[in-house]
Formats: sequence, C-alpha cells, structure tokens
Amino acid sequence: MTSHSGRGLSRRDALKTGLSAGIATLAAPGILRAQAPRELVIGGAASHKPWVETHVMPFFEKKYNCKITFEGTRSLVNLEKMQKNKDKPYLSIVQMDDPVMILAVKEGLLEPITAAKVPNMAKLKPGTVHMDGMWANYLQPWQGVAYNTNVLKTPPASWADALDPKFKGRIIVPSLQNTEGLPNLFMFAHLATGKPMAEAYKDIDAAFKELQKLKPNLLTVYSQMPQAFSLLEQGEAHMILGALSSFGMQRRLDGAPITMAAPKEGIFPVPSGIAVVKGGPNADLAFAYMNELLGAEVQSKIAGPTFAMPTNTDTPVPPGMPTDAKIHTIDWAFVAENRTEWVKRWDREMAT
Amino acid sequence: MNSMAGKRVIWLAVPALAFLAIFYAAPLFYLLARSFVGPSGFTFGLFSAFLADAYNWRVIGNTLRIAMLVTLVCLVVGYPVALALARARGFAQVILLTAIILPLSVGVVVKAFAWQIVLRRDGAIARLLVSTGIWDEPQRLLFTEPGLVIGAANVFLPFMILPIYSVVKLIDPRLWEAGATLGASPLYRFRKIILPLTMPGIISGMAFVFSMSVSMFVIPSLLMGDRFQTLATLTGRSFLLMRNEALGSATAVVLLVLAVSIVVGSTWLSRRIGRSA
Repeated sequence: MTSHSGRGLSRRDALKTGLSAGIATLAAPGILRAQAPRELVIGGAASHKPWVETHVMPFFEKKYNCKITFEGTRSLVNLEKMQKNKDKPYLSIVQMDDPVMILAVKEGLLEPITAAKVPNMAKLKPGTVHMDGMWANYLQPWQGVAYNTNVLKTPPASWADALDPKFKGRIIVPSLQNTEGLPNLFMFAHLATGKPMAEAYKDIDAAFKELQKLKPNLLTVYSQMPQAFSLLEQGEAHMILGALSSFGMQRRLDGAPITMAAPKEGIFPVPSGIAVVKGGPNADLAFAYMNELLGAEVQSKIAGPTFAMPTNTDTPVPPGMPTDAKIHTIDWAFVAENRTEWVKRWDREMAT
Repeated sequence: MNSMAGKRVIWLAVPALAFLAIFYAAPLFYLLARSFVGPSGFTFGLFSAFLADAYNWRVIGNTLRIAMLVTLVCLVVGYPVALALARARGFAQVILLTAIILPLSVGVVVKAFAWQIVLRRDGAIARLLVSTGIWDEPQRLLFTEPGLVIGAANVFLPFMILPIYSVVKLIDPRLWEAGATLGASPLYRFRKIILPLTMPGIISGMAFVFSMSVSMFVIPSLLMGDRFQTLATLTGRSFLLMRNEALGSATAVVLLVLAVSIVVGSTWLSRRIGRSA
C-alpha cells in the first residue's frame, strides 16, 4: 500500500519533469520558426524517402537555406493532391512516374522548365525531357531480365531465350496492369517483327501473337512484385522478364541468388520523372531543386543506391550497371491512349 | 411483462444496426445506384455490355466454379472434424479447438505465401506424390486451379467446422443409442438421425464458406495470379487500377446478385430437403 503511493508520487514527479521538458521542446522550434527558412514541399514516392533524406535534403537545405518537407506516397495520390489544391497548390515539386505526368500535363498542373531556369537541362541525355519541358527524368532505373543464378550459369543473351521449351512453367512476367508490364509488349513486338524498336513498338498485334508462344513457359503473371521475386529466389521461377533493377539488384546485394541481365535487344528505362508544380510556392527554390536533381553532383550520389543510370551526361555510370546496352525510351502518350484496350486483350489472350 | 421485456431487449440490436446502416447499407446502395448510371442518366447499358461479352461469362464461370469446389472440399473435410470435435472430451477437445481457431489469427497473405512454399515443385505435396509413385516427376501445382482450391479451403475450413459443431453439440446422444436399440445400422442412423439434425449447421457453414470464397480477392491474386480473373479480382482492378468506377460497380453488383441468390436459393432448397427427410 505504502509502496504503491510512493510509486504514485514519483510518477507524478516524472510527469512534471516530462511536461516541462515537453514545453521546452515545443517552445524551441517556435523560436526557430520565427526566423524560419522558406519551406519546399515535395510530393514523391514512398520509396524515394531514404535517398532524398540522406543525399538530397541536407545538401539542399544548407545550400539554399530552406527546409524540405518530403511527402512520400504513390504517383496517383500526388496527382490527386495537385488536382484538389489546383487553386492554391502547396506542393512545389512532384517526383512521379511518367504515365502519371502525362495526366498532370493534360490537366494543366505542371510548369514547363527552360534551360534558363534549369541550366542542367542542357546536360541531359536525349529522350529524358518530355512534352516540351513539362517534366524530365532525373534517374533511369531500368528493366531487363532477372534470373536465378543457381539455375542459369550464364546470363540470358536474348529476351527470346525465355521462349525455349526447357523453361516450361518457369517464366514470370508482370501484369499489363502494372506499369512495368508494358515493356514486354514492345519487346515482343520487336521480336516478332524483327524491325528496329522505334518502328516495331507500335505493332501491338504482332506482340500479342508472339506472346502466345510464351504461354506454355509462363509460371504466372504477377501483380505483386515481391511475390514474383520470392518465387525467383526459391528457384520455382527461373526468369522474370521486365524486372526492375531497383528491386532485383537490391535483392542480389541482400544475398539472394538472383541478378539482372541486359540482353542484346536492349533494356527499358523506368520512368522516374520530376516536375515543377504550376503556381506552387517558392518557384525559385523549386527550379533550383530540379536543377540540382538533374545535376551531376546529386545524381552521382543517388544513382548507385537506387541501381539506376544517371541522366546527366557528366555523371559516371555506377559500377554493376549495363554500360553498352541499348536503351529504348517508352512512348507514354501511345501507352496512355491504348492501355485499357491492351489490358482487355491481355486478359482474354493470356488467360490460363 | 415478458413481452414488454422482449420488446425492450430489441433495442440492444440498435448499435449494430446503426453501424451496418452507415457502413454497409449506404455504400451498398451507392454501389447499386452507381451501376445503373450512364453518361445520360439511368441505364441498364453497363450490365448488357458486361453480359454481352463472352469473356465475362468465363469470369463468372471461374468465380462460381471455384467457390463451389472450395465449399465442397470444406464440407467433405470439415463435417467429420465437427463430429469428432463434438465427441472429443477434455484435453483432446482443447487441442482440436485450438487447431481450428488459432489459424484464424494468421493473416490470409501469410497463409497464401505459406501455400506457395508447400505447392512448389520441390514442396511437400509434390515430394509426397512423387515418392508414393502417383507422379513420375514433380508437376506444377502453384498457380493452378487445384492449388487455388486447396489453399482457399484451408483458409475457410473453420467457417464450415464451427457452425456444424455448434449444432452437433446440441444433439441428444441418446437418439443415436435409441436408433441402435431399435436395430438400425450405423449408416442408416447417420442418414436418418444425424444428417437431418445437422442440416442447419451444414447450411450455415456452406453459406459462410460460399459467400467468402465467391468474393475472395487476395487468395486468388496470390495463388493464381493475373491470368485467372474472378468477379472479385475484376472489381478490385476496375476500382484500384483502371479507375473505372462504373465497370467496378457493375461487376460488384453481378457478384452480389449471384452470391445472394445462390446462398438464399440453396438454403431454401436444403431446408425443404431437410424437412422431407
């Protein structure tokens, strides 16, 4: 009984100390806030958070005397945030997938960039600035073929290797409803027609016919990427066509018996876009942020950890990345126009 | 006095009814309404377009076939377990009950991933079938319909066992003994005494399992993948990925109508059969 009340007293004391400490910490940022640097709010992907916080935030906040708030979510959510606050935007920068950028352009939500406002734009690889400067790609993670290294002793030389009957029931591809599912369609159009990719990719009919040949070899068509990689690591699947380097190479580093190959027909860059929000706060800071992300200094820091290729031509390609692979840029406007039809056809023709 | 108390007791259902009205009936009504609205007002167009497409009939077929198979497997496997559970006493009953209820606390995603390991070509089932000589070499089970039925039946089994068990528990054991005294064979006693008396449990168990398996979303997407669409996966995709609310509402309503009419219809039918038996 006595010990109980004793504990009660000390608890009250603890509470008091805690309260005053709490008030002190609450007050301190208040003082800081009084002389607060300007704030830049960025809407990006949840998966961007680690590298933004480690490599971009400290550097940028110091250089421009500002504060970055990073809201990590999904591209479509960022789009919604822009739509809902169109009259009074609070986001200054968005980092979203290219297909979603197209939707944002259509709704007039983005501010185009120029070389005057973003000087590093001039240093970018061809094909990385889209729709007259509406957005640019700051990195290119890539899609190639992931394979189990216990089963395949040499990397697949061609995407068509997956058609070999020895891989019966051993191949996985992403669903066409996933963004990463689209390149397979273009690659199969190329394999079917033998024409150069720039010409072949529009022949979707040929692609679907060629994909029929893949059906006996399919283990599954995934909509959840981690599941596909776990099947590959376990050896139930031997290859994933159109696998993401950011996922596959990370798993290899973690010790999984898988790696990525860049077959001779080439690989596809994954859309990592950045754009300035039209009418967003602190436009000067927004353009400065974009310029830094397109610059060699920041790109050399973030390309390695994200297993991506830099888009700035002055940035060295990180070790382990394909250096001489053909890179096919995806025509996202063509995708946006036709995707629903393709998904419909895919459902019917690829069904078990 | 008694009927007064009875009337007052009804108020106890108010919180649950209010909850259902706000979070179930209202969204359901919205969904129903949404599926009848086209660009120019009220229409059956969404449904006629949906049903005119042969592929969608295949999807409906997939949905119903899988749900019926899962229900059947659960019944065949679960019924004897329910009888055993009702007969078991003491420690054995505790073990049995725990074994049935504990798996409910494991999420569906975890179970689906576990089944992925079991159904692999080097998994336990394939090894067993090869070592017993039923298979010459390991075949693929993962991402096949039998694999899906096995996995889903595993998840829903408790919902078959528990309603049957609760009915079996109430059966007076002397009925069985009386039948034996009068010279009825065990099979005859089962058909004429146990089966009719457990019919209410069977009906509710089947209704539970069928409604859950006809609308399951996570299990088929993990155990079958994208190449096998059901009404539930088609609905999910329309809302989540294609942002086509109208199509999603239409598929959801088709699913709802099919599921409700099958559950209500089969319940009515089996009640009739139960009564005449």
